[in-house]
Amino acid sequence: MNTPAYTLDARAADATAPTPHLPGDLAIWIFILAELLAFGVFLVAYAFARSGDVAGFDARQLGLDRDAGAINTVLLLTSSFFVVRATQAVAAGACARASGWLVGAIGCGLGFVVIKVFEYAEKFGAGVTLSSSTFDMFYLSLTFFHFMHVLLGLVILAALWLGTRQRRYGPDNMNGIESGAAYWHMVDLVWLILFPLVYVMR
Amino acid sequence: MSGTFTKAMARNVFYGGTVFFFLLFIALTFDTMQGLPKSDNRAAITPAVAAGKHVWETRNCLGCHTLLGEGAYYAPELGNVYKRRGPEFIKAWIQSMPSNTPGRRQMPQFNLTDKELDDLVEFLKYTSEINTQNWPPNIEG
Amino acid sequence: MKYKSQAVAMPYFIAAIGLFVGQILFGLVLGLQYVVGDFLFPSIPFNIARMVHTNLLIVWLLFGFMGSAYYLVPEEAETELYSPKLALGLFWIFLAAGALTILGYLFVDYNTLASATGNDILATMGREFLEQPLLTKIGIVVVALAFLFNISMTMLKGRKTVINIVLLLGLWGLAVFFLFSFYNPTNLVMDKFYWWWVVHLWVEGVWELIMAALLAFVLIKVTGVDREVIEKWLYVIITLALVTGIIGTGHHYFWIGTPAYWQWWGSIFSALEPIPFFAMTVFAFNMVNRRRREHPNRAAVLWALGTGVMAFLGAGVWGFLHTLAPVNYYTHGSQITAAHGHMAFYGAYVMVVITIMSYAMPILRGRQANSNKAQVIEMWSFWIMTISMVFITLFLTGAGILQVWLQRVSEDPMPFMMVQDQIALFYWMRLWSGVGFAVGLVLYVVSFFIKGKEPEAVAA
Repeated sequence: MNTPAYTLDARAADATAPTPHLPGDLAIWIFILAELLAFGVFLVAYAFARSGDVAGFDARQLGLDRDAGAINTVLLLTSSFFVVRATQAVAAGACARASGWLVGAIGCGLGFVVIKVFEYAEKFGAGVTLSSSTFDMFYLSLTFFHFMHVLLGLVILAALWLGTRQRRYGPDNMNGIESGAAYWHMVDLVWLILFPLVYVMR
Repeated sequence: MSGTFTKAMARNVFYGGTVFFFLLFIALTFDTMQGLPKSDNRAAITPAVAAGKHVWETRNCLGCHTLLGEGAYYAPELGNVYKRRGPEFIKAWIQSMPSNTPGRRQMPQFNLTDKELDDLVEFLKYTSEINTQNWPPNIEG
Repeated sequence: MKYKSQAVAMPYFIAAIGLFVGQILFGLVLGLQYVVGDFLFPSIPFNIARMVHTNLLIVWLLFGFMGSAYYLVPEEAETELYSPKLALGLFWIFLAAGALTILGYLFVDYNTLASATGNDILATMGREFLEQPLLTKIGIVVVALAFLFNISMTMLKGRKTVINIVLLLGLWGLAVFFLFSFYNPTNLVMDKFYWWWVVHLWVEGVWELIMAALLAFVLIKVTGVDREVIEKWLYVIITLALVTGIIGTGHHYFWIGTPAYWQWWGSIFSALEPIPFFAMTVFAFNMVNRRRREHPNRAAVLWALGTGVMAFLGAGVWGFLHTLAPVNYYTHGSQITAAHGHMAFYGAYVMVVITIMSYAMPILRGRQANSNKAQVIEMWSFWIMTISMVFITLFLTGAGILQVWLQRVSEDPMPFMMVQDQIALFYWMRLWSGVGFAVGLVLYVVSFFIKGKEPEAVAA
């Protein structure tokens, strides 16, 4: 370390040479990694199954509603942005502002849920089930597995919102909100990979 | 790299993760229960099949044989024995046990009545018609 | 021993070891029956001997778990057991019920036993591992509930440590999922589907909580590593175990009449199941490397590390070998399954119970650790049993590969019994490995009777 000898203030030294900092709790990161691994293996299985029946997969894929998917992508991205703003607000000590951003994030998440429910209703009506075809199996499994993550993420966001209302977080206490935010970004990230792979790419 | 690792967060992740995956398992179970009538051959379940399953269980057949691959691995798979051997062979086989060939694996004599034999065969017939995704790979089980 | 009432663990441990010996004796009988088919026929047919072998295993592990809980929960809660008298009473009830059941298997015709014990009212018997008469099953539930009441009350009046909470969660889960053993519909597919809610959600679910909690407890004691650190990792490991293990149940739903999508779900999640076992191995070695003291009971440390490694090999690696649906299509219900079952049960559950017995028994007998001589014998028994089990697993795997090839893969598949004759050599070698295991077990029992001076504790 070539920290200048005249720097007495440790925080000033940090500012010049910041040590890499993992936002949020290691426990949530291990969980996130496990989840990403599960999704990853699932997507590898999807690629494997698709390579055996490309034409069949493509034909079935055409039946999916890409517009709804695109709107959902925008909703999740926006929601993730709001969560970033909420985290920044907490870091600035503005809990009230943070809870406002979180309400926005939750609103976008709920929008995703509503659109997804309509999509599922339409698909179930058309006889799509886990057993109707291999593509349908992957489509439903992957999106439903993700859908449940959105629901869990919303529960977490609600808990964060409650926390900001009760002023539990602050510049010195970022662990909770950073952990929850990291989880929500994971949910967003998975959708960003899942949507093109399952809905769009041929 | 600096980071935080708190017991409270580890605990929350444990409870959250467990509840989450258990709910997912319940959802899949629910779907399975909806789909089973198509694959589990329930239409073929008659009082004779039920009685046959009772015979199967009370003689602890699973202590030597497998049924759809589950049980002990000492004696042949019986999930498809109806297709492999047919009803008459099965009954004659059970009645002729034990073989008493020195050194060979022995199957006990269960002294089943004619009705019990018929019921057991009915149960094995029903089992052989369950949709097992083409398992076993061939008729030898 | 910090609390007087912990002493009640002792009879549980002794019974566990006694039943363990019985289990291995019947294992040898089975091993011999595999190659000398008419051995002991008709007095003890294979199906009866196997039932005794597997049921003894379950019962002695339950004795081990209960003994561990009686030892561990008061110490963690820092209070006396809620009711030592209840614990002792339950011990005799459970022992009597277990002994009667085994004697019933051996001396009463199974069908007669079934009708004499109410199986015609509620049929639950004749299913693998759940062969117990209805009365025994009800007895297990009653004993389990009274036991859970006792240790839950103990925890509630004392300190609620993470280890206690996780252990209790595991034990409550054990009792709750056992209730599915009473559900036995005529529909064979439903029967099998929910049968796994007992068997799989036990051994790849709630039992892992018990195992991890017991291991964490012993690690805290023998390494002196900060409790905070161990408890955090305990949570992480059991999270991984349940995240992968619950949906991992799907690897049993490939070929039993359930929908085809389980082949994907089951394969994907059970492919991840080795991760928690690997984490447990790393965890055990890490904590021992970071130890802040040299505990005089080196045998207990050896068992703790051994259970980490063997659980990973048996449950993790040997489980993964045949868990993917395309592989399992050929290996399902073959000697490969038997190979995995033997090493996984030994590595995960037998060894973790021995770990805690190895740690607690000397203390229950009034010393920190056994004499050096006794420990050396115990460590010999560790190596002999463990290496024998590795060989049992390898020979069964060899038998399984040949069996799968001759009976299921080859162009001209052979009938089951013809294949069995072809692979008899492997069964002979498995039998001799089993004899080796029995020798190791005898040494283990002998180690309890070796006297000598207690070794001194050394600071690291």
